[in-house]
Amino acid sequence: MAHNSAPTTASPTIGASIVAKGLTKVYGRGSDAFHALGPIDLDIKPGEFVSLIGPSGCGKSTTMLMVSGLEPITDGVVEVDGKPLTRPISEIGIVFQDHLLLDFRTAISNVMLQQEIRRLPRAEMKERAQALFAQLGLQGAEEKYPWQLSGGMRQRVSIARALVHDPSMLIMDEPFGALDAISRTQIRHDLEMLWLEKRKTVLFITHSIEEAVGLSDRVLVMSKSPGRIVEEIAIDLPRPRPAHLGEYPEFSVYAKRIYTIFEKLGIYKF
Amino acid sequence: MKLQSPSPGRELALAWLRSALLTVLAVCIVMGVWQGLAAWFQVPVWLFPKPSDFMLRFFSDFPLLLHHALATSRTLLLGFVLGVAIAVPLALAIVSIGALERGLFPVIVFLNIMPKTVIGPILIVWFGIGPLVSVVIVFLMCFFPVLVDAMSGFRAVDPRLYYITRSMGASPSQTFWRVRLPASMTHIFAGMKIGVVKAAEGVIIAEFIASSSGLGYLIMRASGSMDMTLMFSGLIMAALVALVFNTAMSVGEAVLMPWTRRPE
Ligand SMILES: Nc1ncnc2c1ncn2[C@@H]1O[C@H](COP(=O)(O)OP(=O)(O)OP(=O)(O)O)[C@@H](O)[C@H]1O
Ligand SMILES: [Mg+2]
Repeated sequence: MAHNSAPTTASPTIGASIVAKGLTKVYGRGSDAFHALGPIDLDIKPGEFVSLIGPSGCGKSTTMLMVSGLEPITDGVVEVDGKPLTRPISEIGIVFQDHLLLDFRTAISNVMLQQEIRRLPRAEMKERAQALFAQLGLQGAEEKYPWQLSGGMRQRVSIARALVHDPSMLIMDEPFGALDAISRTQIRHDLEMLWLEKRKTVLFITHSIEEAVGLSDRVLVMSKSPGRIVEEIAIDLPRPRPAHLGEYPEFSVYAKRIYTIFEKLGIYKF
Repeated sequence: MKLQSPSPGRELALAWLRSALLTVLAVCIVMGVWQGLAAWFQVPVWLFPKPSDFMLRFFSDFPLLLHHALATSRTLLLGFVLGVAIAVPLALAIVSIGALERGLFPVIVFLNIMPKTVIGPILIVWFGIGPLVSVVIVFLMCFFPVLVDAMSGFRAVDPRLYYITRSMGASPSQTFWRVRLPASMTHIFAGMKIGVVKAAEGVIIAEFIASSSGLGYLIMRASGSMDMTLMFSGLIMAALVALVFNTAMSVGEAVLMPWTRRPE
């Protein structure tokens, strides 16, 4: 069976590789056609942590939806572990930009949807879900419905949902967007520790330069719509990285590079 | 951290009790005024009975009323269950298959605007006097609201929710049972609530014209002999039957969709 159709087991997995060539998206057709993205190339190694940063509307979410096989590709190819993508990848954990929780399920059963659909062992998954809740500061929220949770809590539930089945690949679309600055720093560290332990491949979408530099092996900087990758910055900082990234003089060098690109592209006007 | 609610069940029961008490109070006041006015102006029983008259009748003829109420309830339940059981899958089919939507839906809209009880005489020709005609009319009464609301429910599901199930490798049936159906439940229940009201009305009318049992039949028979107090007792019993069905819907909604139990 193909890697993307077998029922997933929750065994520790080594990350998958993601390669995209000439990836392009045009929404609609005829006079409504809107060129939203690309062409872009991606080459993400197994176990690599790559961030995509760029201005609003440049096509980051579009990229992640195409890479995970959820949106049809207008042009180009995506290969996961060397195999061309023909259907949605299921060896994956996705955090969507709008967290997309099911409002008819409690927090914990939103996470347990992974177990139900993938038919994973229930008791074991429940334990993992509860451990993730504790790790993400969601104790006591298990039996609440999404409308009873704050925006930040909802986002953390959707992070737990993306992680609970221990996927070999994580795609996160601005996962910390709704969090306050304090939790954001903490969860950034938690994610880094988790990644150091499991070495999944991560494609991380963000607006935050600090997050991108703080987490990634590589940062891909995108231009305005239709987005292209204009610069690739390898982040060579020791891990785990500290709460206050300013401790590293290199941090401000990296940050400065990204700001400079944004200024050059006319995204920042100072 | 804990939400300020003892338990959802108790909260629900309390809310129900409060509204029930209010209703009883309102009914008592109306009956009291009615009783007073009718006694004051000495309205004859055969023209307009006092509450005391028909309440006495209600209790003295309770077994008879109950017998017919049960017959009405059976018809109502059967027609309603049939209506929902056919309307919901059909709604799914219509929403999923474009050709059905274009071909079948206009027909359904036409059938919907057609006054349903008018079919009664035709149905009598086909099926004869009996509960079947009433079941069919009840079915028709509740079928359309459920169909229409179920369709809009199935359509209103945020298509992005399917991103989740697809990224989990869900089968179509898993997607339906775990996402699409529960996400449409509020709409379906809204349709069923309208449907049950229409069905409760339809069942009595159907029994007027085509039945040999049920409250509609009983009231019609009492009308023939100008038995006013029996007619009013039947009316009360019919209201009680409708109340039971409505309450059952609310309880069913609260039990099946605990996520909608938001505090006010
Ligand atoms: N389903 C769609 N149909 C048509 N156009 C779309 C659709 N989704 C996105 N777009 C357009 O494509 C462009 C890229 O959208 P996308 O959501 O990928 O941006 P983004 O980089 O994720 O932005 P943000 O940072 O604000 O989330 C936008 O201009 C948007 O208007
Ligand atoms: Mg986006």
